[in-house]
Amino acid sequence: MSVVDQNAIELAPRISEADVADYIALLKPRVMSLVIFTALVGLMIAPVHVHPVLAFTSILCIAVGAGASGALNMWYESDIDALMSRTANRPIPRGRVTRPEALAFGMTLAFFAVMTLGILVNWFAGALLAFTIFFYVVVYTMGLKRWTAQNIVIGGAAGALPPVVAWAAATGSLSIEPVLLFLIIFFWTPPHFWALALFRSDDYARAGIPMLPVVAGPDATRLQILLYTLVLVTVAVAPWPLGYFDAVYGVTSLVLGAGMLTLAINVYRRREGSEALRATRKLFAFSILYLFALFATLGLEVVVHALAPSIW
Amino acid sequence: MADKQKPDGIVLTEAQKRSRRQRSIAIALALGVLVFLFFAVTMVKGPAVLVRPM
Repeated sequence: MSVVDQNAIELAPRISEADVADYIALLKPRVMSLVIFTALVGLMIAPVHVHPVLAFTSILCIAVGAGASGALNMWYESDIDALMSRTANRPIPRGRVTRPEALAFGMTLAFFAVMTLGILVNWFAGALLAFTIFFYVVVYTMGLKRWTAQNIVIGGAAGALPPVVAWAAATGSLSIEPVLLFLIIFFWTPPHFWALALFRSDDYARAGIPMLPVVAGPDATRLQILLYTLVLVTVAVAPWPLGYFDAVYGVTSLVLGAGMLTLAINVYRRREGSEALRATRKLFAFSILYLFALFATLGLEVVVHALAPSIW
Repeated sequence: MADKQKPDGIVLTEAQKRSRRQRSIAIALALGVLVFLFFAVTMVKGPAVLVRPM
């Protein structure tokens, strides 16, 4: 007979040792930084003057909303996070934060982000932010991700919405420009994540996530990457001839698009060994630069135009 | 009677105390930011803060 009372051990409350860094990790800071950046550009290109305090409030709420989505994603996916090398060090698999703690944290942040944006800025933007969080957590994380190989294609809509929310925060309505920004991120997502999935396919297979390389194989994924990159480059250049964004953006988009397309063709052609791996990693890295540079160009144009209107 | 009584309930370790203090400070800062945000936006909007188009 054991001298230790097992019931007492099981009933003893768990005292958290999680520090602030663990909770910051739950927010997915790297994803959050991209959300902040794209939302900032969405806010900057809006054709209205936004008071800096309201602009800051909008971006903060969108950032916190994105962080809440990340925390709720980690709450739901802790079982598969523990199986993948890329995610095994997240706070829940490491035992730093429990699932209920992550759920409470995410829900609290989501509530405050949506309510604050609604009350202080406008309810249209608040509702869009709520929809974005819902789409990422419920539609993508709980629904699509473990169900279909098209998970990141449809789920990419959640990542594409922040500049739309920001535009809505600035103007209280929607227009073609934020839809164009949405489309650029939407079509950027598949080549970006499938490139990652190509060199992490063992991880995804171990976790049972039906990413395209796991379900359809690497060659079919390479073809899809190439096709989506073609659509992406076209969609990204189109606003220039259509007259929504100007020539500086257009030329930047053309040059970067040529780079993206070249790398996607390389991924399609090089299918074996270290060359294939290198081509995939290059595309993954360049895709981040591509999106950053496209949005930075739009943002810089606004800054330059404001500082020196005669240049444009 | 013993000089020192055994404390009742759960006794936190130093690490637990430190992390709890860190979390408490972070929550206080977050609440402070929220209060300041509402104050600042009210100042910026003035009476228009009561106008809430959907």
